[in-house]
Amino acid sequence: MSHTVLICDDAIFMRTMVGDILSQAGFEVVGEAETGVQAVEKYKQLKPDLVTMDIVMPDMGGIDAVREICKHDPQAKILMCSAMGQQALVVEAIQAGAKDFVVKPFQPSRVLEAVQRVLG
Amino acid sequence: MDSSQYADLFLTESREHLSAINQWLLQLEREGAASGAEAVSAIFRGVHTVKGMSATMGYVAVAELSHELETLLDRVRRGELGVNAELMDLLFRSADVLEASIEGAVANRTVPTDDVLRRLRAFGETRPVAPPAAVEEAASPNEWTVPAPSGSGTLVRVRLTREAPLKGVRAFLVVQALRRLGDVHVVNPPLASLQAEQFVHDFALRLATTVSEAEIERVARGAGDVAAVRIGEDGAPVAARPSSSTESKSTMTEAPRTSSAIDREKVASRMQPVREPPTEPSPMPRAIDLAAEAGETASVRQSRHVRIDLRRLDSLMNLIGELVITRGRLLQIATGLDDPALADSVTQASRLIGDLRDEIMTSRMVPVWQVFDRFPRLVRDASRSLGKRIEFTIEGKDIELDRSMLDEIGDPIVHLLRNAIDHGIETPEERAAAGKAAAGKLRLSAERDRSAVVIRVSDDGRGIDRERVLARAKLSGLVDSSKTSLSDDELLRLIARPGFSTAEKVTDLSGRGVGIDAVYTRVRALGGAVDIRSHPGQGTTATLRLPLTLAIVRALLARAANEVYAIPLTHVSETVELQPAALRTLQGREVLVLRSDVLPVLRLRALVGLPRREAVMAGQPNEQVVIIDLPDRRIGLVVDELAGQQEIVVKQFDGVKDGLSFFGGATILGNGSPALIVDVSSFP
Repeated sequence: MSHTVLICDDAIFMRTMVGDILSQAGFEVVGEAETGVQAVEKYKQLKPDLVTMDIVMPDMGGIDAVREICKHDPQAKILMCSAMGQQALVVEAIQAGAKDFVVKPFQPSRVLEAVQRVLG
Repeated sequence: MDSSQYADLFLTESREHLSAINQWLLQLEREGAASGAEAVSAIFRGVHTVKGMSATMGYVAVAELSHELETLLDRVRRGELGVNAELMDLLFRSADVLEASIEGAVANRTVPTDDVLRRLRAFGETRPVAPPAAVEEAASPNEWTVPAPSGSGTLVRVRLTREAPLKGVRAFLVVQALRRLGDVHVVNPPLASLQAEQFVHDFALRLATTVSEAEIERVARGAGDVAAVRIGEDGAPVAARPSSSTESKSTMTEAPRTSSAIDREKVASRMQPVREPPTEPSPMPRAIDLAAEAGETASVRQSRHVRIDLRRLDSLMNLIGELVITRGRLLQIATGLDDPALADSVTQASRLIGDLRDEIMTSRMVPVWQVFDRFPRLVRDASRSLGKRIEFTIEGKDIELDRSMLDEIGDPIVHLLRNAIDHGIETPEERAAAGKAAAGKLRLSAERDRSAVVIRVSDDGRGIDRERVLARAKLSGLVDSSKTSLSDDELLRLIARPGFSTAEKVTDLSGRGVGIDAVYTRVRALGGAVDIRSHPGQGTTATLRLPLTLAIVRALLARAANEVYAIPLTHVSETVELQPAALRTLQGREVLVLRSDVLPVLRLRALVGLPRREAVMAGQPNEQVVIIDLPDRRIGLVVDELAGQQEIVVKQFDGVKDGLSFFGGATILGNGSPALIVDVSSFP
């Protein structure tokens, strides 16, 4: 059975791209969220195997969403999607429970490596 | 990766962000930093998203600019920089250049960004720009550069790959992973420096663990981006187990060492969350979950949206248009055959086609704010450059209009707004002298009126200067020199004439001799109507009345020689057979006497460059006159014969527009042949 993924990013562009990378690698994208609040709701609802989480989102950012999701499910496997210059935030996200990170611009191979690490 | 397939998505979404950024910038400017925290965060988010997208697309210039802008915004967000006019100016400027560079990047054009980049970097700079902590770039990638930290535990050295992004975070992840194997005593460089990326590419730490070296290496590498791991002391092996002296020393600074039994237990408990295989939920509870959530999921689904390429919607619209035309023919044929069963099915098919058309038309509707939202910025810039104060309000933002109609209507509205700012609203001094509030009011509104959308632009400025319009009209011989005043309708007709402008000097904004007439031309081409009412000293209101869609209209079909032309019924009042006796010549022009009216005559053959029809031969029917009613005049259009009425699908012209200014598009008729659509409002 393929792994299920929830993609959280406020940019459709990014969701599409990450979704394409993951579905081409055989993942099943079961949901998308545009805000942190949606990410938490959809996580509870869909219980995906993996979450990709943007850091900067309106209506609860990615880090708070990680915290909420991990409170609900300490086993949650969350991959942070960050940009250059966000090291402090990524560290915070990892302390909040995220398992790994990728940095934009995304290279499919790097995203998939990180996903394997998170799921491994 | 091939990003070209994402370029459209990038462009659409970036434009949306830019539009939102401009909205927030305006709010920030209005409210200042105190209440502008929300605005700054929102702008920051927008710029940040653009940065991520552009970097992914490989648009380096866009990414660089948005990065610098983001850096500046971050400082504003932290309160390091105050919001003042200078900052706002730079932010607005940056948003403009960002927009231009986005459009440029997608179109493969270079847009210069150096100037604004320099300003962004230099803005409010009090401290010297700290170069990122100087690292020895000279270090060979294969070298271990840090001295081994002293202390107890196994020495673990980790070197990250050269290309690892956010090395500091990666180092943190490696350290965290190793912590699951046991206590990490000392890290060199210290963790804080690692996180701040103040290291070359390797770091060393001491780990108190009982697991094998192979396991340590596996865990360290598992954290990702690790090029090499070296375990054990450097060079000549030092005692693997710490001496009692180092141990006592370490107890002072580090957590007290625990017995190995407890250590193992601790390790095991820490490892649990990671090592445990992911718990697969058993099928039963899963199914129950799904059932319990079904309602919730359904409600989420309701608000789901799909993005569709506009071209696909256009092609749907074209197809349904053809179907509507075919329906017309089917109905005709069915009526002729007089078969009740056939008539029934045709009626039902006809109703379904009608529903389908309505549904497709609805799917093309978008709220006007998609275009209106860029106007506040435009009004701000324009009023500033003219030294005017303007309170701009927008109403009815959620009114919906056909997507292509909305695209077409943007420019005419810009013309009207610019006219109001440029010519209508006075300077604060003039306003004060006239006993008005210093700030002029400018209002843009949209409302639905039956099957039309009415868009209004109104200002409380000085109104159109009738004296000057009259003087100018006399000068150009457009009105009789004895005329002393202009009615509203006369005024309207004059200012709508191509090239007629009363502006004293050409400005950036309007007054290039295009303006109202350009608005007229465009709105009429869309099948709409324009009305302008102006009161001296009180202001001007321009009203645009637009059909909800420009795709399907009812038209009268008329023939000239062997060609069929479509005349939209919107402006056709009646048709009459041409009686040669009713034609006269007045001041060198051909006119038609219709009841008590005298109408100028135009001939379709002349418009399309055909010779006049030979004198009517015996038995040949007379020509027909289509009486066209425009808001300001009536015209008789002479055609060879009429060929019935039809719903036609308007297809935009490409390319030949200049040569055929009397035509507003083309259509395919029910029998498959093409026909040009006559734009009666463009008639001289």
